Amino acid sequence: MAAGGRTWRTGWPLPALTGLGLGLLVLGPGLAPGFVLSYDMVFVPDPGFTPWTFGVTGTVPRHVPSDAFAAALATVLPGDVAQKVVLLAVFVMACMAAASLVPSPRILPRLAAGVCYAWNPFVAERLLLGQWALLLGYAALPWVAAAAADADARGGGRRLVRALLPAAIGGFAALTVSGITALAVAAARRRGAGVLRVVLALAVLSLPWLVPGLLRAGGVPGDGGAVEAFAARADTPFGTLGSLLLLGGVWNGETVPAAYGNAVTSGVWLAVVLVALFAYGRWCANTDAPWQRGLAGAAAVGFAVAALGAVAAPVLEGLIGLWSGFAVFRDGQQYAAPLAVVVAVGLGVAADRAAQARLGAVTAGAVLAPVVLLPSLAWGAAGQLRAVDYPDDWARARDIVHADEQPGVVLLLPWAAYRSPQWNHGRRVLDPLPRYLHRRVIANDAVTVDGTTVAAEDPRAVRLDPLIRSGAALTEALRREGVRYVAVDDPANAGSQARRLAGAKVVLRGRDLVLYRIDGAADVRDERVPTAAVAGAWIVTGIAIVWSWLGSAITLGTPLLGRNPRRRVD
Amino acid sequence: MRIAISALVGVLLAAVASFGAVQLASASQKDPVIKPLYNYGSR
Repeated sequence: MAAGGRTWRTGWPLPALTGLGLGLLVLGPGLAPGFVLSYDMVFVPDPGFTPWTFGVTGTVPRHVPSDAFAAALATVLPGDVAQKVVLLAVFVMACMAAASLVPSPRILPRLAAGVCYAWNPFVAERLLLGQWALLLGYAALPWVAAAAADADARGGGRRLVRALLPAAIGGFAALTVSGITALAVAAARRRGAGVLRVVLALAVLSLPWLVPGLLRAGGVPGDGGAVEAFAARADTPFGTLGSLLLLGGVWNGETVPAAYGNAVTSGVWLAVVLVALFAYGRWCANTDAPWQRGLAGAAAVGFAVAALGAVAAPVLEGLIGLWSGFAVFRDGQQYAAPLAVVVAVGLGVAADRAAQARLGAVTAGAVLAPVVLLPSLAWGAAGQLRAVDYPDDWARARDIVHADEQPGVVLLLPWAAYRSPQWNHGRRVLDPLPRYLHRRVIANDAVTVDGTTVAAEDPRAVRLDPLIRSGAALTEALRREGVRYVAVDDPANAGSQARRLAGAKVVLRGRDLVLYRIDGAADVRDERVPTAAVAGAWIVTGIAIVWSWLGSAITLGTPLLGRNPRRRVD
Repeated sequence: MRIAISALVGVLLAAVASFGAVQLASASQKDPVIKPLYNYGSR
């Protein structure tokens, strides 16, 4: 026991420091003061706790509870610092968690797993796509696998909830990926109690987004027509399936790291992945630990789900037709996450075998390979992730809107969800204004990928869509719809909004934002989800989280997951 | 421990070298202006 404890205590700092070093290298210029805004990654100064934050306004709660977590963190830290803390935590946790699964007392093999898990195409592409909430769950996935393996043991439920906490913060996508993994690992042990605990933990931690999602007036949306838009795609010479196997294959061609996918580095990376998978397979064959096979099963299931939209789109479209909730499988590549765990642990096992054979160079090479083969992830993914400040016009608009006590919502124009503002170096980002303002903002949440558009989901956006697209005068109609302000945050490309807003008063005209006010706006309320139900969901989840930490003297010297898996598998 | 520190230094050196190469490659590039303006992305 003492040996195991000593191993753990001396075992975690170096992976943690390595993860921190990798995170610092990845973020690079993004560590400067300001916000890193890329696709879905939106952090704002002084975010508020609004009904929208909790998904009460009838919108689809994709941002629940991750936005609430970001807002909570920003109450104790400046918003931009909070963002950097979250992003660095992803790398630290990923490196520590993957390293903890490698059955070796040697540090280098464990570092090989940690570096591989924190620095690979999956992390790069999802980071560029701005999916920090998904990456939170990804980072803790090895811990989830270990906790699920022991779910039926004494205290196993508590450990499982703790391990799932980052995924729970991340929301539905992160929890779905973690859920598949945890269920596969628990099922492999063939103990009903373990599976039941996994199901219960997943259900309780899902409540903050599940309740508003199920109770919203429009139900669970699912556009089957968008399957091909979000299906995995080839970003290496090895086709879509080969790209997924290499942990790449994100649907968005704009978020592939610079220079990734060339034949030479992809070929070497393929060899590394195959060696890692072979080593993992040998390890499974030579030990009697069902959870390892469960993790392999999770990787296989995840890979199949990841490939589904690309190789059998009609099947997924049919499933979404049966129940729209299956749309969660549309963005396939994110389900390659369990495979990343297997690859990372397998690389660690291979490195350990090399160390046993006194092939030090091979062991060191295993540590360095992920970084050397994907150098463009460094320094803000080759300068793509940079810290920027919000324009002064935005702060002025916020002061105006927040000082106004009259009711009414803000309408956001141009009528599109994403922007490529010059102040963000032209980088595409989900418009931050709905988070920047504490007043309800109606924005077009329809998303367009190439020629495919996924329909808007916000009921009020759906209602206003025909009017705004019509080209007709807006002011009177918006007044009836309860719109108090119209914010045009891309004036240079917004066209002739002024003509359509005749009668509205310009209260701010800046280079980066023009704000109109419509006096006499009607008091139109959202079709809200019952607040009591949402509050109840948060209370139940909160109780479960507090319970999971009770009775466990959590210190840095105590294994987060209880028993160290290394001792179980050796 | 020395081996571990060496590995850590190796990772850092590799990353710094990679960073230098990438910086050289991207130094001449201008800010990306992605069109069409309001798409989520393109495949």
